[in-house]
Amino acid sequence: MFGDEIAGFIESPVMQIIGSSNAARRPEIGRAVGAWTSTGSDTINLVTSAWQWPETVANLRENGRIAVTFARPSDYVSYQLKGQATIRPAEPDEVERSSQYIVAIVSTQMRLGMLPELIMPVLSNRDPMLITMRVASVFVQTPGSRAGERIWSPTP
Amino acid sequence: MTPTPIRLTLADLEACFEGVIPSIISTADADGLPNISYLSHVAMVDDRHVALSNQFFAKTAANIRLNPHAMLLLVDARNSAQYRLELVFAHTLEAGPLFDHIALQIDASSAQVGMAGIMKLRNLDVFRVTSIAAIPSQVQTAETRGPKRNRLTAAARIAEAIAAEADADGIIDAMLERLRTEFGFEHGLLLQLYEERNQLITIGSMGYVPSGIGSDIPVDEGVIGAAAAGGRLVKLSDMSRIRRFGAAVRGSSADENRTRAIPLPGMPDAMSQIAVPLIAAGVVRGVLFLESRDRIAFTGEDEAALAMIASQAAMALALSEKLSLETEPQRPVRVQPPTSEKTVQVVHHRFDDSVFVDGDYVIKGVAGRLLASMLEQHKESGRLEFTNREIRLDAALKLPDFKDNLETRLLLLRRRLDEKRLPIRLARLGRGRIGLLIEGQLRLSKDVV
Repeated sequence: MFGDEIAGFIESPVMQIIGSSNAARRPEIGRAVGAWTSTGSDTINLVTSAWQWPETVANLRENGRIAVTFARPSDYVSYQLKGQATIRPAEPDEVERSSQYIVAIVSTQMRLGMLPELIMPVLSNRDPMLITMRVASVFVQTPGSRAGERIWSPTP
Repeated sequence: MTPTPIRLTLADLEACFEGVIPSIISTADADGLPNISYLSHVAMVDDRHVALSNQFFAKTAANIRLNPHAMLLLVDARNSAQYRLELVFAHTLEAGPLFDHIALQIDASSAQVGMAGIMKLRNLDVFRVTSIAAIPSQVQTAETRGPKRNRLTAAARIAEAIAAEADADGIIDAMLERLRTEFGFEHGLLLQLYEERNQLITIGSMGYVPSGIGSDIPVDEGVIGAAAAGGRLVKLSDMSRIRRFGAAVRGSSADENRTRAIPLPGMPDAMSQIAVPLIAAGVVRGVLFLESRDRIAFTGEDEAALAMIASQAAMALALSEKLSLETEPQRPVRVQPPTSEKTVQVVHHRFDDSVFVDGDYVIKGVAGRLLASMLEQHKESGRLEFTNREIRLDAALKLPDFKDNLETRLLLLRRRLDEKRLPIRLARLGRGRIGLLIEGQLRLSKDVV
C-alpha cells in the first residue's frame, strides 16, 4: 500500500488526467472524474466517460498500460501513478461516487475564482466506465526540483 | 474520435494559447508506457507547429526522443472547450525570437506569482500538428465573442489620429483617447524610458485617479519593466491566482511628500494586463500599458494592433522631440505677470533635484532640475518665457546629452503641476516655446546638502 498521504490526496478534490497508448505506441489523453483506493491493496479505482474519452477506453481494454496524474488546483501539488489497468462499465454506486467528486471539484475550483460554466465542460461521467488500476509506482510531479522523483513502488 | 464537421486549424484555437487553463501532454516510451503531465506554456509557432515549454518533466523530454508521437489536450480559456491534438516531435529550440518571446512571458508571469527564476525557460520542444479534434462536452460551452471586431481598421484610425498631432501632448492624448473609443480599453498608461536612471516614467494616463503622471518604475520590474527590458510585448490573461502585492497600499499625497515618489496607478482587481514596447529606430523609448478587469481582455489581434499603434506613437514622439528644437515664430501670446500677492514657497533639494511647492512634492530628477532652473531665471530677470532650444543648450542643467527627451520631460512637468493644482504652471506657447505661470510671489530656496 502506497501510504495514507497519497491515498488521501487522490480521494481529495484534485484534477485527474489519464495517459494511455495504443498498439502503435501512440499516446492518448483522457480525464477521470472520481478516484478511490481499495483498502489494503495497491489498487485504485477511477471513473471515466467512454463518451468523452473513447480512445482511452479502447487503449485500456486493449493493453491496460496506464499513467494517471492527480493535481491540486490551489498549489499544483501533483503525483503521477503508473501501472496496469482493467476496465468495465461502472456500477450505480460507483457512478454516485463520481458524481460526488464532480460536486467537490467544482466547489474547489469555484473557491479559487473559476466560474462553474468554465469547469463543467471538462467533466463528464456520461457512459461511465470503471478503471481498476494496480499501481506499480508513484512519482512526484509538482513543478520544482523534486519533479520526476519516484516516491513509491511495491516491495518485491 | 468523431470527426468534427468543420476542419479546425491552430488559428481557431487562439484562446487555448493564453496560458490561462493548463494544457496536458501525454507521451509514451519505446515500450509504449505512457506518461502524462500538465504543461506550463504552449505557443503557436505557425499554422502547423506548436512549441511546448518543458522545464521540469524530464520523462516527457526523454520519451519524445524515443517515440516522437505525443498527444496534447488544449482548453479554450473563454469557454473551456477541449481540443485533442496529435503531435509529432520536430526539433528543439534554445534561442531565437520565439524562444525569447516565450521566455519573457514566463519570466513576467512567474515573477508575479513570486517564482521569479524558478520557472526559467531552458528549451522549447517544437512539434508538428497532424490532427485537431474537438472533445464533446455534456454542457453547452458558452458562446465565444460575438462578431469579430475589426482591429485593423481601428488601428489605422488611431495611427491616423497620432499622425495628425505635432507635439507630445497631442500624440499621447490622441493615442490613449482613441484606444478608449475605438478599442474600448479604459485603463492605460504611457511610460517613457529614461535610460540614465534605468527607469520608466508615466507621461500619459487614462482611467486612473490620481493619474500617476510622474510615477516611475525600474526597468525589469513587472510586465511594464519586462516589456522595456526585452523590447517585446508581455501579456497576462488571467491574474485571478496571482497574489496582488501592494494593492492595499495606494499612496496618498502625504506619502508622496515623505517618499518623494509618485505611486504607479493600478487596478487592484485587474485580470488582464498587456505591455507593448514603443520602439523607433531600433531603440526602446517607452511602454504602452493597458489593463482590464476582464479575463483574456487582449487577444492576438489586439497584440498586433497595439504593436502597430505603439510603433506609430514611438516614431511620432521621436519626431516631435526633434521638431520642438525648432522654435516657432513668436506668437502674440504673452505670459501674464503674477496677479496674486500670496507667497509661493518653492524648495529645491539639490541631492535628488526634488522640488516642493508650498510643501507639496512635485517631481525630482531632470524634470525637477528644469523647473528649478526656470524659476531661478525668473527670480533673477523676471523671465516668463523659455524655448526648448535654449534649455537644451543650458550647460547648468546637465541634461543627459545622448537623448534628452526634453519635450516629454516638460510635458511630464506640465501635467504634474496641473494635476496637483499648484500655483505654478507651465503653458505651451507654441512649438518649442514654454510659458511659466506663477500665481503669487515666488520665494525660492535651495538646500545645499
